[in-house]
Amino acid sequence: MIGLTHYLVISAALFSLGIMCVLTRKNAVSVLMGIELILNSANLNLVAFSRFTSGNLDGQVFAVFTIIVAAAEVAVALAIVLSMYRMLRSVNLDRADTLKG
Amino acid sequence: MDPKIIADLHKFYPEIVITGTFLLVIVADLVFGRLRRAVTFALTVLGLAAAFALTLPLFAAAPGTMFSDMVALDPMALFFKAFLILASLLVVLAAPGSRELSGSGLGEFYALLLGVTLGMILLASSTDLLMLFLSLEMVSVGSYIMVGYLRNDRQSNEASLKYLLFGAVSTGVMLYGITLLFGITGSTKLIVVRHALAGAATPGENSLILLVSTLFILAGLGFKIAAVPFHFWCPDVYTGAPTPVTAFLSVAPKAAGFAILVRFFFTGLSQAGQGLTWITFASINWMPIVMVLSIVTMTFGNIAALRQENMKRLLAYSSIAHAGYILMGAVVLTSDGLQAVLVYLITYLFMNLGAFMIVIEIYNRTGSFELKDYRGFYRRSPFLSVSMSVFLLSLMGIPPLAGFFGKLYVFAAAVNRDLAWFAVIGALNSVVAVYYYARVMKTMVIDGGDETSPVHASWDSTALIWVMLIPTVGLMLFWDQVQKITSGSVGLFLGN
Amino acid sequence: MNANLVSQILFYFFAVLTVGSAAVVVFSRSLIYSIFGLLFTFFGVAALYVFLGADFLAATQMVIYVGGVLVLLLFGVMLTHKLYNLDLKTETFQFVPALLLIVAVFGVLLLAMTRATWFSGGVRPPEPTTAEIGKMFMREYILPFEVASVFLLVALIGAAMIVRRRAQ
Repeated sequence: MIGLTHYLVISAALFSLGIMCVLTRKNAVSVLMGIELILNSANLNLVAFSRFTSGNLDGQVFAVFTIIVAAAEVAVALAIVLSMYRMLRSVNLDRADTLKG
Repeated sequence: MDPKIIADLHKFYPEIVITGTFLLVIVADLVFGRLRRAVTFALTVLGLAAAFALTLPLFAAAPGTMFSDMVALDPMALFFKAFLILASLLVVLAAPGSRELSGSGLGEFYALLLGVTLGMILLASSTDLLMLFLSLEMVSVGSYIMVGYLRNDRQSNEASLKYLLFGAVSTGVMLYGITLLFGITGSTKLIVVRHALAGAATPGENSLILLVSTLFILAGLGFKIAAVPFHFWCPDVYTGAPTPVTAFLSVAPKAAGFAILVRFFFTGLSQAGQGLTWITFASINWMPIVMVLSIVTMTFGNIAALRQENMKRLLAYSSIAHAGYILMGAVVLTSDGLQAVLVYLITYLFMNLGAFMIVIEIYNRTGSFELKDYRGFYRRSPFLSVSMSVFLLSLMGIPPLAGFFGKLYVFAAAVNRDLAWFAVIGALNSVVAVYYYARVMKTMVIDGGDETSPVHASWDSTALIWVMLIPTVGLMLFWDQVQKITSGSVGLFLGN
Repeated sequence: MNANLVSQILFYFFAVLTVGSAAVVVFSRSLIYSIFGLLFTFFGVAALYVFLGADFLAATQMVIYVGGVLVLLLFGVMLTHKLYNLDLKTETFQFVPALLLIVAVFGVLLLAMTRATWFSGGVRPPEPTTAEIGKMFMREYILPFEVASVFLLVALIGAAMIVRRRAQ
């Protein structure tokens, strides 16, 4: 029987892959994709918990809000990337080094 | 409509006013042609002032939650509402005179600032994890855009991209932690979370998942207050952003982050113990972990600031260090500690904003943020140099300036909780900090400079600097009031 | 073949699709492959939502993520590279330590999740959710709902302002 744990394993895998993507990629759009993976993994958690543990739709409503936030974030992110591309003619994060950490 | 919602709306006036101003500013920016700058500025100032005025009567209202336990209305929430609106108002007053922002239209700036302010006051009063996440994101996304406001400036663009990527990852991780907490407790309301954790029959087996989930949530909150190791975005973003935005970020979202951190730990993860202390649930002992965080943060911030040559970067590391001191007050889990946090934040608001105002004005007149261009500034503008020295002395924590009281309260709270060694580390850190603050003072006052042309600060900047100076110097005189306000604001609505 | 077995097979198919596509997103050398991997990940997650009985959410996921976010990302990739050079390589750094870290994180998560006792508020049988969610938006979740609309407006203004060309 497919149970809660199955979904949690999938979401943990997505989360880990998302973190991996964020850590190892230099292209800004790739990092954004990693962020989307993380947010999707959290959403999967929410819906799975909503179905199996909480007995109401709170998790699903939360997931809708997460989708809203993620979409807005990506829109702003791409606006900044585009603006930066015009400045720098590249979105390689290594080139974004005029500010020394 | 549900009558309870309508009743709650009557206690929601500050938020409604800010939202209304936000919408009006957008429309005004589109409608008015040449009068745009003046009209949007006036609208924003009036709106924020009105919201501030509407917050004050709410102190008399009975504490409780609103909108189905989404936000709380308690003294602490109201304190932060007033604080954050005031901080936003001060930054708005500094914006039109700023040389960095003079090339761009300011209508969107005010609109974004209002949106971020709305997010901050909701964040400071959130009692539900969904509301926490949503308002945190609202503050963050608005901040990302404000940091990148100078579209043609490379540093500004870079800073905003770095801020966004780092911030989005932190809040994504935080969200994952929130979902785990939701799975364990079945609800997103902090009050229910607390009940579920307190009543857990066998806390042992849940301890790992609780640790993981709270660490993840701490990642998001730590990012907002720029605590180590979530501080990596801070120096670059502070340096690249237009300085009024930097000033804003260093005070307001940081304070909002502290508000929700305190609320999360006190109402979500602890319960009232004997006397005035809180105790965390047996499964996880949070105090040592967050104490280490506080120590690492203040130490790193101070040490990194020692060799900075750029004023904005120096103040960025200085603000990281101050976050460490403020954490000290939150960590000790007592009412004293909470009061210390509030006191420190009040003093920090004025002294940090004051220092930034001067940096802004010096840039307006000379076009530089580098310390080497501050040499011999005393000859060029005694007013700016002396007021900067006052703010720096206050940041150092020298009595009788305001900063001293902030540190005093925080260290006292630690000592009262039998954590004298913690206070000693804080004191040692303050001593280290003296070096870099004093270095700026020495550069301005004692060193000889090549440029000797006099610098006259504009009247509006001068007025604003006086507005920051008076509380910094004179807070001691009003200490009774400050005491009363902060101890009265410590009340957190704990639910039943 | 009984329905139970079929649904199990389908579940595993979508699970593998989701995680596999995510792996493509992370490890692929070409940015375009990553984006299409992301497309299939979103699609797989939507399918999993259907398995969990979240019909409204599955539709929203498809419309917003695939139809919005993914298209935006694709535009972002396309507009920020020279179009005649379709070999969109990206560099990776510190690969092996990151891999070890991720395996550790995944392991800890699995351990924590299998040990934990989850809240037991009852299993919710699958039934249409749209009406219920709509009602909740207007009752318990009205504040976040309204705040979300202000938030979207902030993001909209901000994004438009950043991308706008220099001429006022």
